[in-house]
Amino acid sequence: MSKRVMVVDDSRLVRVQMEDVLAGTDYQIVAHCRSGEDAIKQYGEVQPDLVTMDIIMQGMDGLDAAEIILKNNPDAKIVMISSLAYGDTFERAKAIGAKGFVDKPFHQEQLLKVFGQALQ
Amino acid sequence: MNNAVTKERLAEILDRAIQDVTEQTAGVRLNQNNQSPGEDICTVHITFDKGFSTSLTLCADTSLLYRMARNSFHEDEVPPEDLEEFAKEYFNVLCGKIAGAMFQTTQVAAHFGQPMFCRGRYEPEGQEIQFVLTYSDENSASAQLIHHVPCSHTDGTVSEQS
Repeated sequence: MSKRVMVVDDSRLVRVQMEDVLAGTDYQIVAHCRSGEDAIKQYGEVQPDLVTMDIIMQGMDGLDAAEIILKNNPDAKIVMISSLAYGDTFERAKAIGAKGFVDKPFHQEQLLKVFGQALQ
Repeated sequence: MNNAVTKERLAEILDRAIQDVTEQTAGVRLNQNNQSPGEDICTVHITFDKGFSTSLTLCADTSLLYRMARNSFHEDEVPPEDLEEFAKEYFNVLCGKIAGAMFQTTQVAAHFGQPMFCRGRYEPEGQEIQFVLTYSDENSASAQLIHHVPCSHTDGTVSEQS
């Protein structure tokens, strides 16, 4: 059975890229949230196996949204997908319990590896 | 630890990043040359608000941005609002790559805010151009990546923000 993925990113481009990369794999995009606030609201309804979370978004950023989702749902599997994969951003993502970090622009091999590790 | 990056090293970082990100994101190969963009242009701009006192501007022929957006969205036609969205996301990723490479060199974590997009040319206030990298694609559409520094900054390096 395919794994259900919720994509949180304010860019439609990222959704298109994610659909390209996940086509023909065991992962299926079941929701696309365009803000941190939307992700918090939708997480309980969607109950995805995995969340991909952008960091820089309008309104609440992805790190704050991930922290709130994980506080309410400690078993949530969240992978940060951002161009800010270094330094204090990377450290904070680890500290709040994100299961992985993927650098933009992402590749299929890299994404599937991190997804697999996050779901173990 | 020396947290300054020379202008030459920064230009290398910017050049590598724009070529890699443009090819990976939009399937377009850019070659560095001296052909400036024409009159129908768009600008995307980012200011680094933590780490370095600097900003980056991409000024590109609108036709080049449309081509990149069409390739990225896999669509024959891209509406103007999607062109803006594409340009912002592309530039966001490009600046992230640059900031990541700067972090490798200096161990200084630079942060930046949301990109600003406009039709035409944009000149950030209180900043001056330190250098410009000019590119064109195989259709002779052009883009310029412009590095700005605060007006008082004249020593040719980009230093950590105090």
